[in-house]
Amino acid sequence: MVAAARTSAPIANRQAVAALKARFAQQNWIFAGVLFALLALVPLLPVVEGWMATQAALVIIYILAAQGVSVLTGHTGLVTVGHGGFLAIGAYTSALMSHYLGADLLSGMICGGLMAALIGCLLGLIFLRLAGAFMAIGTLGFAFFIGTIVNNVPIFNGRTGFSLPPNNLFGVIDIGDFGFYYVCLVTLALMTLFMYSLVRSGVGRAFKALRDAEKAAQSSGVNRLFYRTLAFTISAFITGVAGALNGHIVSFVSAEVYADIWYSVDILVAAIVGGSAMLFGPFIGGVFIVMVPFFFEELADFSFILKGIVLIGVLMLAPAGVADVAARPFRAMRQRALAQAGGATAREHGRTGGSPGGAE
Amino acid sequence: MTQLRCENITVSFGGVVACNNISLEVPTGKIVGLIGPNGAGKTTLFNVLSRFQDHDSGHIYYRDQDIDRKKPHQMVELGMARTFQNINLFGEQSTLDNILIGAHHLIGNPFADMFSLPAARRTERSLVQRANEIAEMLHMQDELDTLVKNLPYGYRKRVELARALASQPELILLDEPVAGCNDEETDELRGIVQRLNRELGITIFLVEHDMSMVMNVCDYIYVINFGSNLADGTPAEVQANADVISAYLGEEHDDAA
Repeated sequence: MVAAARTSAPIANRQAVAALKARFAQQNWIFAGVLFALLALVPLLPVVEGWMATQAALVIIYILAAQGVSVLTGHTGLVTVGHGGFLAIGAYTSALMSHYLGADLLSGMICGGLMAALIGCLLGLIFLRLAGAFMAIGTLGFAFFIGTIVNNVPIFNGRTGFSLPPNNLFGVIDIGDFGFYYVCLVTLALMTLFMYSLVRSGVGRAFKALRDAEKAAQSSGVNRLFYRTLAFTISAFITGVAGALNGHIVSFVSAEVYADIWYSVDILVAAIVGGSAMLFGPFIGGVFIVMVPFFFEELADFSFILKGIVLIGVLMLAPAGVADVAARPFRAMRQRALAQAGGATAREHGRTGGSPGGAE
Repeated sequence: MTQLRCENITVSFGGVVACNNISLEVPTGKIVGLIGPNGAGKTTLFNVLSRFQDHDSGHIYYRDQDIDRKKPHQMVELGMARTFQNINLFGEQSTLDNILIGAHHLIGNPFADMFSLPAARRTERSLVQRANEIAEMLHMQDELDTLVKNLPYGYRKRVELARALASQPELILLDEPVAGCNDEETDELRGIVQRLNRELGITIFLVEHDMSMVMNVCDYIYVINFGSNLADGTPAEVQANADVISAYLGEEHDDAA
């Protein structure tokens, strides 16, 4: 009766829905444009000094790293506790190239990302059968594995580490703190653009399908092996690029920081607190992770406690992250508008007018 | 011509033999039913045919091509889609996205797709267009943007069917399409299944407990019991078969009395 009582939606309705969707997409673009314009203006403020630009660059690096995590954890549903490993791979690849070959920042980022992607691809294949908590433990093991390697294999110089020449692009010596910030910002803009394309594509749909109902995804033709491995590869690439930038931001890499598990934890917390299934989530998470120790300068240990408390709070109250809560009213508004344009009013009449038990 | 055929399929889990030498044939363009008491091995056989479950011995042929070693995700490329007994949808996503996933094997090169290159965007537009048409055919066009978790049960059954249709199948395996539906929903789904068969020429193979559904829509019926073939024939023949009555329908009468 539910369907019988309903007349076919007029074509005008579908057109109205399409127009609305186009408008929503336009609003998203405007929002992103304004956001990046503001970020681009940050170093131009007269009060901003070099060290502040570096802090802002660090925020961007965390946003990038968390974007990498979000591909895997948010969109494909594979929880990773070991992305510090990919961060380290990116950082060391670029640092070694820069230290021994005098490579510039851009080639370091690309190679760092590609090296991480290669390892990520292998890891995706190895972890094919893992899911849920086992996946988390597997990736944690991977981070420890990478940590042990950078600590003990001679070329990585262990805890002594090595310092890098001043940051340069295409051989132009020393782009400075502000130049570095803009390199980070452009990278973030490109990655965000890619993420936007990815999550709306058929590939992004396949990722989400594997996350939500694996068997149904497979029976719809989604090759589990291929798409899981692809998600691992993309995720590792993005975090690897962040790692390359992370080495250059202090012009120094050592096992002191990269053999530790804290990077992995920080990136994961950034992704989860911000909201790992949303494009805007990593932005909030990155700001959060960098700003917390910033405010606790004297009492650095307290920042871990605060991060822990916030993480627990977010998981309890808003498991989809802060960005999800912030976006909720807008999403509800859009859904209402879509429902109205799509002719759902006809259904409401159909339901109330039809048999009371018919709907369920 | 035969769309799907299996010969002497045997599957055992440890010591339990779920399917024992089962053979059957689904002719092209027909609606074929598979029935049997609980635990007869129907769902196991379905999983074997859609390649979610490996069989110990026997062969499966799709249009006379041996598909014993195919992976589940390769079946839609061949032209075979399926639905699940317990609705298996992407609840946090819209009806439209659920339908689009069914068309996954039509997205083309995944690398062009994830960068939204112009060719990929054209493909995407045509897939959305087709999803709209399918939704219209199943009277769901009003709910395309609704999250599936907010839809009533009978509706979700239809979304699963729509997803299967989006893959442009020649054959659909339906695992208990009307289980848990009320009479109205059952009637509606029955009508849809018949339309898919008659208007689109899609071959249907279905497992179902609802006897009115099976006897009304099927051209041919296979009965299995304790993992083995028990009988097969037209609905009238099966209803008259003494073995079937004692093994299956007979039990039901005893229960009722």
